[in-house]
Amino acid sequence: MTVLALAALLVAGCGRAQPLPRNETVYKAGMQWGPVSGFNPFMSGDRWPVTQPANDGHLIYEPLFAYNLLSGELDPVLARRLEWVDDRTAHVTLFDGTRWQDGQPLTVGDVVYTYDLVKRYDTPHAAVWNYLERVTAVDDRTVAFTLDAARPHRAMVLHELTMVRIVPQHVWEILERDVDSILEIENRNPVGSGPYTLLRHSPEQVAVERFDDYWGREVHGVPAPRFIVHPIFRSNDAGNLALERNQVDWSQQFVPEIWRMWEDRGAPVGTWFSEAPYFLPATIPSLFINLQRDGLREPLVRRALAYAIDYPRIAETAMSRYSPVARSSMIIPVGVAEQRFFNEEDVAEHGWRYDPEEAVRILEEELGATRGSDGIYVLPDGTRLGPWIAHCPFGWTDWMTALEIVSESARAVGIDVRTEFPEAPVSHDRRYTGNFDLTLWMPEGGQSPAHPWIRFHHVMDNRGVAEMGDIAFRNWNRYQNDEAEALLDAAALTEDEAELAAIYRRLDRIFMRDIPMIGLMYRPWQFYSFNETYWTNFPTEDNPYAPPMHGHTGMQIYVNLKPVER
Amino acid sequence: MEIIRILLRSKRFVLGFGILAAVLAFALLGPRFLTDVAPFQRVGGLYDAPSRDTPLGTDNFGRDVFTQLMFGTRTSLHIGLVAGFVATLIGVTIGTLAGYVSGMVEEALMGFTNVLITIPPIVVLILLSVAVDARTATTMGVIIGVTAWPWTARAVRAQTSSLRTREHVDIARISGVGSLEMMLVEILPYMFSYIFMAFILQLTGAILAEATLSMLGLGPFQTVSLGTMLHWSLMWESVRIGAWWAFVPATVFLSITTFSLILMNAGMDEIFNPTLRHTR
Repeated sequence: MTVLALAALLVAGCGRAQPLPRNETVYKAGMQWGPVSGFNPFMSGDRWPVTQPANDGHLIYEPLFAYNLLSGELDPVLARRLEWVDDRTAHVTLFDGTRWQDGQPLTVGDVVYTYDLVKRYDTPHAAVWNYLERVTAVDDRTVAFTLDAARPHRAMVLHELTMVRIVPQHVWEILERDVDSILEIENRNPVGSGPYTLLRHSPEQVAVERFDDYWGREVHGVPAPRFIVHPIFRSNDAGNLALERNQVDWSQQFVPEIWRMWEDRGAPVGTWFSEAPYFLPATIPSLFINLQRDGLREPLVRRALAYAIDYPRIAETAMSRYSPVARSSMIIPVGVAEQRFFNEEDVAEHGWRYDPEEAVRILEEELGATRGSDGIYVLPDGTRLGPWIAHCPFGWTDWMTALEIVSESARAVGIDVRTEFPEAPVSHDRRYTGNFDLTLWMPEGGQSPAHPWIRFHHVMDNRGVAEMGDIAFRNWNRYQNDEAEALLDAAALTEDEAELAAIYRRLDRIFMRDIPMIGLMYRPWQFYSFNETYWTNFPTEDNPYAPPMHGHTGMQIYVNLKPVER
Repeated sequence: MEIIRILLRSKRFVLGFGILAAVLAFALLGPRFLTDVAPFQRVGGLYDAPSRDTPLGTDNFGRDVFTQLMFGTRTSLHIGLVAGFVATLIGVTIGTLAGYVSGMVEEALMGFTNVLITIPPIVVLILLSVAVDARTATTMGVIIGVTAWPWTARAVRAQTSSLRTREHVDIARISGVGSLEMMLVEILPYMFSYIFMAFILQLTGAILAEATLSMLGLGPFQTVSLGTMLHWSLMWESVRIGAWWAFVPATVFLSITTFSLILMNAGMDEIFNPTLRHTR
């Protein structure tokens, strides 16, 4: 322990000894909340900058493609082209001259090896093999991805092509030899193919340095900052203060009332939109309902709850105006590519909105419930509506506040909902095992080529989901509906827009009838805010050369940033 | 009546009592006369600045801070009173027993008390608060009370031990008065002033303990207290944003409430403790 502590002190000491030149360094915030535990790109958890493509995950390791949030398309990274040669075979062609940071060429062999690697060990990416039959080299630049004949779901494979980062076979073959699972590998000296290499890391920060022999200089350009540093802040407010005081250039943190930074204090801070909602909505934090609890089992009770919740207030206060008012659909109505499937008429006819009187009407007229002396309704069979506990992890202020509002507005109508905020691991465990009344989470957060299919799949497909009590990674309330599952299969097999729209419409109507969950608000995939004291030319709605992302095609931002002359 | 006349002689007590009375009036009568919104009612947006309708602005939920302050003070006092009562009851019972009944009983009771006194109460408080499912204001008061009594027990035992050797106690004992009657009639009444002062200190401690617990996110459910107000203002970075109205009023009310109680306590000390009494 002592040795470790001393070593940590030494590392930290070195970090402080050499300040990096401010005009050549971009400081980031909001993607790393504790000391990094190695740089293995296959593990989940915080390990900036290798954790996931969205969180600067292209700096060291690169995937074949990047997902473009604005266009909904795949943009080239290591691969320059994807072509469907038949119904279930895609040919992916690598750029010429791809090369590892140690000088070895990056070949189709590395791609085939990496996809084999994620299958052989139970990595989060192993799921791609539910949809793949094989990955093979066609020639020295082309790899063939053959879909599984039983589940030829193109969108899911496209999604994974943007998620799996390619690793060098000549390095990982050796690493792999000494461990039972590659998830044990800490990978303290990552060798990737990207434009940056690891400079140093300590409990205070992680820093990367530009790799000047990057293979993609011609194709992707040369990033402007020589160094990128992610300081590790103890809390949200420390990071937000640093953004306001020009110590952080580019942040992924939730900042309450960010407009005050420029309106009240004149800080050169900006976001994607210069006015509300400031960020691009991309996910739906939703209240999952336990369908097996007495009372909640009854769809009309869920419907009354859905009418009771004050969505405008959640958008205004809990989300700090960063969210449009939530609609009763599983499809995001604005901003992102999936909005083309949103059906206004169906939502008006079959959905819900904030209307406490309607909630009371459903309870009294349709359910025949009577109001007890404590103001809470009781069903004719004697079931009291609550107390039901709604929970989310402690410290997630926007979510905690949203649940407080759910609780207040439900009780105002006569449904007893209470809140609880356990530590994150406890909250996750309860959600995974189905041990909850109401729990708040994002079904498939983020965006991908597979959205909105993957969100419906997450909420309404019970095939392959563990029993209640065991750990499940989706469909936490184990909602089951044969018709929905058949529709999901049909949607997976078609690329015809009209047919897809019809299927999603039917799925959304089933969702609005059965109400397995209630969307409370929209959240951006990432919070994207910047301070232009040292660097300018961040993309915005008016200058949309890249999407407001810290990774994926947002990587282009590093190439286009301009240092401020001083 | 006599006692009140004596107490009114202390300027400190009068000042402390005056402040407390004002706080109480604000908390108890305020909701009827000073505001027409409910504590959980939304009246504005996230951290709206003070205005005509919202004299102290709105909190992160868009609720009126001025109204919250009344209900919050009320809850905090409620918790303080329950906790003070519970702690004083347990402390006086154990202290009197231990002080009056010597031997094994005293050893056992004081041993137990001394063990508890070495455990930092905040640890026990947090564990108990996490364990309890329904944290109403009353249960929180009880939780705080059952962790706060040891020092009262020690002090009361010391008082009892010295009272036990007084002559009137000896006379009562010779007259054949039973132990229970002895404690209730011959010992306790002589400690009332002291017990009341201990109660006030317990009340002060409990109001602060509620604030501590609430700021850790372990506050009472579905109600607003001064501690929960501070909790949410911290969570929503009101200090960085500059929304002073979200944290200053609650802090001020916590301070003046505890200050007034401590002032009353000091005033009473002055009266009841002859060594501190001003010569007149």
